[in-house]
Amino acid sequence: MYKIKLDQFEGPLDLLLFFIKRDELNIYDIPISRITKEFLEYVNLIKLLDLEVAGDFILMASTLMHIKVRMLLPREFDEKGEEIDPRAELVKALLEYKRYKEVTEELAYYESNQRKMSFRGNFSADEKVAVPEYDILLKNVTVYDLAKTFKHVLDNFKEEPVHEIKRLNVSIEEQISFILSKIEEAEEINFLNLVNEIKEKIRIIVTFIAILELVKMSKIKIKESANFNDFMILKGDYIG
Amino acid sequence: MDNIYQSIVEALIFSSDDVLSGSEIIKAVKGIDGDDTPITVEEIDNCINELNNKYEHSNLSFRILRIANGYLFATTKEYSKYVGYLSSEKSKRRLSQAALETLSIIAYKQPITKPEIESIRGVNSDYILNTLLEKNLIAISGRGESVGRPLLYATTPEFLKYFGLNKLNDLPKPREIEEIMNDEDFIEQKRKIMMNALEDTMENESNEDGNADQT
Repeated sequence: MYKIKLDQFEGPLDLLLFFIKRDELNIYDIPISRITKEFLEYVNLIKLLDLEVAGDFILMASTLMHIKVRMLLPREFDEKGEEIDPRAELVKALLEYKRYKEVTEELAYYESNQRKMSFRGNFSADEKVAVPEYDILLKNVTVYDLAKTFKHVLDNFKEEPVHEIKRLNVSIEEQISFILSKIEEAEEINFLNLVNEIKEKIRIIVTFIAILELVKMSKIKIKESANFNDFMILKGDYIG
Repeated sequence: MDNIYQSIVEALIFSSDDVLSGSEIIKAVKGIDGDDTPITVEEIDNCINELNNKYEHSNLSFRILRIANGYLFATTKEYSKYVGYLSSEKSKRRLSQAALETLSIIAYKQPITKPEIESIRGVNSDYILNTLLEKNLIAISGRGESVGRPLLYATTPEFLKYFGLNKLNDLPKPREIEEIMNDEDFIEQKRKIMMNALEDTMENESNEDGNADQT
C-alpha cells in the first residue's frame, strides 16, 4: 500500500488533486468509483490519527459517494436540456482550488526571495530577551481583539457554585398535629385551604406527607373535591 | 545632474526603521521648504531609481526597496547568510503550505469570510486564520452583510512587506479557470477523454446488447 505522509495534504481537495496528478487522470472525467476507493483508504488512515482533520475528509468521501450514486442513476437534464454531469460541481471546486494552489507556489517563491533581504531595523525586531515588547504588541490591537479578549475572560470566568442548605424547621409530626387541630375545628377542610397560609414549598410538601401518614393511620379520610384540583380532608371516624 | 531632493529622500528613508510612504516624504519636504515646493511622487520615485543605481555602481550592500506602498532600506541577497547568522528574526520558520494557501485566497478575494475561505480550501481553517492573525499578515476588516454578519478578513501592509510586494496589484495573477482549461495538459487530457468517451459508449452499447440478451 501507498505510504502517504499525512501532513502533506492541506485538505481533501489537495488530496484529490494529488490522485489526479499522480495517476494522470483527467480532471473533467474523474473515474469516480476508483478515486472514491482510494480516497476512503486514505480517510481510514487519518481517522485513526486526527479526528478534527478527518471530518473534512469524511465529508468529501461522502460527497464522492453521493456523486458515485448519481453517476449510476439516469442523468438529469438542466433547463437547456443538457445533461448534468454529477461531477461538475466537484470539478469546479477542484479547479478553483487549483488556481490558488498555483499562486501559492509563487507566493512561496516571493517569500524565500524576500527572506534573503534584511530590512533596516531588522535587528530591533529580534527578541533579545524572551520578554515580549508590550507597546509593539499593542500597536496593532483592534477593537475586535479587545472584544475577543473580553469574551474570552468572560467565558473563563466561572462563579464558584454555592449551594445553600437551610435547615428545615418542620417535621411530619408537627404537621400531623397541625392538620388534626384544623379538622377538629372544621370537621372537613379543603387541601388548598389548608396549605393556603403556608408560605414555604417544603412545608406544603411535608404537610402533604403528613396527610398521607394520617390516612395510613386511619385518623383522617380524604375525598375527591368538586374542584378536581383539590381534595377534601375529613375526620377519620367520618362515615362517608 | 542629481535630483535636488535625492539626498533628502535618502536621509528620510534611511532614518526610518519601517516603511516610509511617498506622501510622508512629501509632507516632510513641504513642511520644511514650504507648501509650494514642487515635489511629486514621480520625482521621489525617480530619486529612488537614481539612488539605487548609485548603490549598484558603488557595489554597496543595500538598496531601497519599493515595498508595502513605500520605501525601505534592505540589504541585498548576497549577504543574507551573514545577516541571518546574527539575526534570529529571519530564521523564524517559513509559512506552512496551508498558511500560504489561505493567504493567497484572502489576498485575491479580500475582504472574505471564513466560510468562503473554507469552501475553497475544503477544509476547516480556524487554526490557520488564527496563526495568520497572530503574525499580523491578515486582519479583520469588518463584518459581512450576510446572515450572522461574519467577520471579514483582509491582508495587512505586513503581508506586502513579508512577500516583498509594493501593492496588492503586484501579486501574481491567478490563472482564470478558462486558462487552466486551455492548458496544453488539459487539451491533451480532453482529447483523451473524448477517445475514452467514445470507447465507453461503444462498450456500453455492447454491454447493453449483452444485458438485453440476458433478459
